[in-house]
Amino acid sequence: MRESRMMQIQYATGVLALGLVTVHLLMQGVLVPYGEAVSFQRVLSIYRSAVDGALLEILLIVILAHGFNGLRVILLEWRQGGRWTRGVNWTLLLVTIATIAYGTRTVILAATGQVS
Amino acid sequence: MEDVTLRIQRFDPSTERAPHLESFIVPLTEGMTVLDALLYAKHRLDHGISFRFSCRMASCGSCGMKINGKPRLACEAQLAEIGTTVKVQPMDNFPILRDLAVDLDGFFAKHAALSPGITRKGDPGEQESPTGEYLMKPEELDSLVQFTYCIKCGLCSSACPTSSTDALFPGPQALAQAYRFLSDPRDEAWEERLEAVDRDHGVWRCHFAGTCSSVCPKGVDPALGIQLLKRHVMSGRSKQKRGASLFPNPNRGLLEPEG
Repeated sequence: MRESRMMQIQYATGVLALGLVTVHLLMQGVLVPYGEAVSFQRVLSIYRSAVDGALLEILLIVILAHGFNGLRVILLEWRQGGRWTRGVNWTLLLVTIATIAYGTRTVILAATGQVS
Repeated sequence: MEDVTLRIQRFDPSTERAPHLESFIVPLTEGMTVLDALLYAKHRLDHGISFRFSCRMASCGSCGMKINGKPRLACEAQLAEIGTTVKVQPMDNFPILRDLAVDLDGFFAKHAALSPGITRKGDPGEQESPTGEYLMKPEELDSLVQFTYCIKCGLCSSACPTSSTDALFPGPQALAQAYRFLSDPRDEAWEERLEAVDRDHGVWRCHFAGTCSSVCPKGVDPALGIQLLKRHVMSGRSKQKRGASLFPNPNRGLLEPEG
C-alpha cells in the first residue's frame, strides 16, 4: 500500500477517533454518572445494543488502526533499512489484525449473551 | 576595541573520539561577521581551524554552521548582534569531516535523487535544441519562485528533527525542490516525482515542525513546500496537469548571419 494511502487512513481514523472518543467519554462520565456507567450490567447492556455495540466495534478498529500506524511511523523513523521497514510493516499489520480480532471476539461474546 | 570570544568546536574524527571546544579571542571590528572572526582566528591564531566558505555574501551557501546553537550562515551573522561570546559548531545531521566542515555528499545525493530539473517527455529534443520558449503565467511563477532561491546550504536539513532520526528522509531541501519542479507547468515528470516522494521514508515523515523555514537564510519556506507536496500527492495524482505551451522565439534568427 502506498504511504499516502496509509496517511489517508491515519488522518481519517484520527478524525473519527476524536469524535468517537468524545461520545464515549460523554457516555462514560458526563451524561451518565461515572459510577453507574461502569457497572458490569450496564456495560453488558451497551454491548447488547446494536447501535452502541457497533459504535464500540468501530471505535476499537479506529483506535487500533490509528495507534499501530502511528507506532509504525515512529519505528520507521527510529531505525532505517529495508529489512527493518518490511519487518515493522508486516509485524504491525499482523498485530493490528490480531488485536482487532481479539477485541471483536469480546464484543461478539458480550453482544450475544455469552458473557453474563 | 572590544574583543569577542570565539568558542569553536574542534574535532578530527581520524584522531579524536569526541569533539571539544576551543576559545579564541578576536578583536571586534565594525561590521565583523562570524566568518570574518573565523578567518581572523584561522589566519592569526590557529591555521588548523577547518571550515568552508566562498562568496562571503550569503549566495553560495558554503559557510553554514551552528552559531550559538542556531543553524546560520557565518557570513551574514553579525557579531555586533550576537554578543561577545559566540559558540560555533558544525551543522547537525551531517557527518563531521573536521572542525566545522561537514560532509554534504549525502545531502546533495538526496537532492539529485529527486531529479531537480525540468523534464520534457513530449518534446525531449526541445531541451537540447530549443526552438522557442515555454511561457508561464505570473501566478504560476509566483507559486514556485521562492523555492528557486534555495542555495543548498543545508541549514534546513541541519534544523530538521526528522532528518536527525531518519537517515533515509530526503530532507526539507530536497522535498521543497521536488515541489518546485512538480508545480512547474513546464515539467512533465509528474508521476515520477509523486512516486519518488510517496514512500515509507518520503514526504509523509515530515511532521511540520517548521524549523527548516525558520532557519532558511534566503527566506524560502520549505515546510510550506512540503505541505503543498503532500496535497499534490493526496489529491493531484488523478488530475491532469496543465502543461506550458511552446511559443516560437520571436527573436530567433535575429542574430543569425544573413544569407
